[in-house]
Amino acid sequence: MSTRNTISKLVTLGGLCTAVALAATGCGAGGPAPSSGGSAGSSSINVLVEAGGHAELTGVAEQCKKDTGVEANFVELPYDGMFNRLSSEFSSGNVSFDVAALDSVWLPSFKDAVQPIDELFTDDVKKDIFPALVKEANVDGHFIGLPAWTNAEIILYRKDLFEDAKNKADFQAKYGYELAAPTTWKQYQDISEFFTKDGMYGTDVKGAVETEWLAHVLQAGSPMVLDQDNNVVIDNAAHKEALDFYVSLAKSAPTGAAQVDWAAAQNLFNQGKTAMTRFWAHAYRQIPADAPVAGKVGAAAMIGGSAGVAGVPGPWYLSVPKATKNTEAAKKFVKCAYDYNSMGIDSKLGLASRISAFEKYQDQPGYESFKPLIETLNAPATATRPATAKWQQIVDTVLIPLLQKAVAGGDTSALLADAKKQVQDLLK
Amino acid sequence: MSNASLATKASPPASDISEPQPMRKRRGVNREGLEAGKRSTRTILWILLAVAMVLYGFPFLYLLFTSFKTPIDTIAVPPTILPREWTLENYTNALGRSGVLASFINSIQTAVISTVLSLVLAVPAAYGITRYKTPSGQVFIMAALVTRMVPPVAIGIPLASMMSSVGLADTPIALSIAHTTISLPLSIWLMSSFFESVPRDLEEAATVDGCSRLGALWRVVIPVVSGGIAVTAIFAFLASWNEFLFALLMTAIRSQTTPVVIANFQTQFGLDWGSMTALAAVYSIPVILLTLLLQRKIVAGMTLGAVKG
Repeated sequence: MSTRNTISKLVTLGGLCTAVALAATGCGAGGPAPSSGGSAGSSSINVLVEAGGHAELTGVAEQCKKDTGVEANFVELPYDGMFNRLSSEFSSGNVSFDVAALDSVWLPSFKDAVQPIDELFTDDVKKDIFPALVKEANVDGHFIGLPAWTNAEIILYRKDLFEDAKNKADFQAKYGYELAAPTTWKQYQDISEFFTKDGMYGTDVKGAVETEWLAHVLQAGSPMVLDQDNNVVIDNAAHKEALDFYVSLAKSAPTGAAQVDWAAAQNLFNQGKTAMTRFWAHAYRQIPADAPVAGKVGAAAMIGGSAGVAGVPGPWYLSVPKATKNTEAAKKFVKCAYDYNSMGIDSKLGLASRISAFEKYQDQPGYESFKPLIETLNAPATATRPATAKWQQIVDTVLIPLLQKAVAGGDTSALLADAKKQVQDLLK
Repeated sequence: MSNASLATKASPPASDISEPQPMRKRRGVNREGLEAGKRSTRTILWILLAVAMVLYGFPFLYLLFTSFKTPIDTIAVPPTILPREWTLENYTNALGRSGVLASFINSIQTAVISTVLSLVLAVPAAYGITRYKTPSGQVFIMAALVTRMVPPVAIGIPLASMMSSVGLADTPIALSIAHTTISLPLSIWLMSSFFESVPRDLEEAATVDGCSRLGALWRVVIPVVSGGIAVTAIFAFLASWNEFLFALLMTAIRSQTTPVVIANFQTQFGLDWGSMTALAAVYSIPVILLTLLLQRKIVAGMTLGAVKG
């Protein structure tokens, strides 16, 4: 009898819970949100951003509401899931957002799903955006995304070690020139070798990410993987030279290079295990206050090869889907993001896309990474990744395995030749 | 073998009382040997249990300790198990983030609705399959299992489009339905095995006493399999509580669940281990409480299947 009572109570409780839950289901706990499928011409828009990008645009959104009355609701998603979500919504033709922050590598994939925003790219705008980004934003003759923030790899180094008198003297004696932040491949190799001692390493080698090697390819004077006519050039001399340089650093880097990615490299540097790292510029301002290297880090522009300094920009673009019913408000928001671009610098990520925004801060204490970043992004050899919808597939299935085999001691010529065939097959 | 039966076997029969001393001594040695064997078996079992507990518990404990570490401690190379300095900063950061509370409520809503839907559909389906044993029922239960073999990523995008086209985009009910598609097949299988273990005589007796078939199910069978229902409910709840892919594809502002919010601590430019582990630790509390609350029912459910036949 008591069992029956217990069951009855459980059923009643379950029923009540369900009733409450179903009653609340009409709108989830996030509150009623306007969706793009809602009323046309709404002054409230949904902005889809990668989680790190929300903070970048928070200030912009507040200012935009004051200026234009357009209220932005942010939909935050993890980076790894964003591409799937965008693909899903764009392919269904029914989008839940009015503005999307797109990683630069996705622009070619979604070019047919987003609206041209040529009217926002005035001459003044083009002058204030890094040349490589202006070029990348233009797909098939139309501008389809306005850069909201950008990044590039620069050199972060242990200022305290570089300024140490004994290190300076020892380095001078061994290599015949003064110890300073490296500007060339040779200097980077020498300094890496010099600091690899006493349980410390000169640098890291990241086998699990491709961007750094591609920056070296640009520095060696070749376009990355594909030339402007989409011919596969991954086996040319510049790619081989860059790969050999990349692999040569492995002896001055922690073991297990094949598995080292951004997070691992950043940890190694912040823990004081490496004297230098080639890393995204934002990391300079994200060194934890309790890290052993806090206050001891210097920043310099990316190193240069025979073609000079070069980096691979990592911009995010704000695009307006064709399927949105709030085009006007969405474009107003994109314009606000440009007008108040410098507000992103005060966020946790601390980046912008306008040259003037970076320049405004470059001489302020704490923003020492901005001058090297501007120099790297403005370098003539700096270029964005090839505009092909297959790029991510090329990276995941060809470039990363290639690098991992190379840093593990593989024959670089053979690996590049094999990679060429694989890329050609993917592009067929 | 029970202790009683062992004791009976080990005790000398009455006719042996007059046996010579050496034989009795040998019997005594045998008994001691048996007890020593039992002790060592028990010790081995305890060791195995401890190893299993460490294997299962360590990842969670490491997560818990990491949530109390300082930012630099969370990424220490080599890593440390215990925090060098304890801090609540990660909890402040994680819980202070906008949308976290709403995501918790959404997770609870979604999991409760999905669990109730699974049970409401699985209990009658499983009962019908086990009691009527029709060929179509057997095909159905096999077909239900086959759906488990379809990777969720293959149906995620079409399902999201369907929900959007019927106006359920970004609602907990849409996500609950999606989660029910994951938990329902296994719920039916679980409930079938529990119903199989209930003798038909019980229902027949209830029918003789005047119950209808539905009345017998409600008043007799369901109370007997309540442990099994608890196990199935826990399974369905956990399947929804931890689900990520459908939540990622089908939710936005109104109904985003906590697994997506936890994943948001990993961005393209960094990973906030401290906040991520803090939120994950908080998110595990309801599941731990639910398991403790239903502990007795779960054990009953496990033994229910064991006495089948």
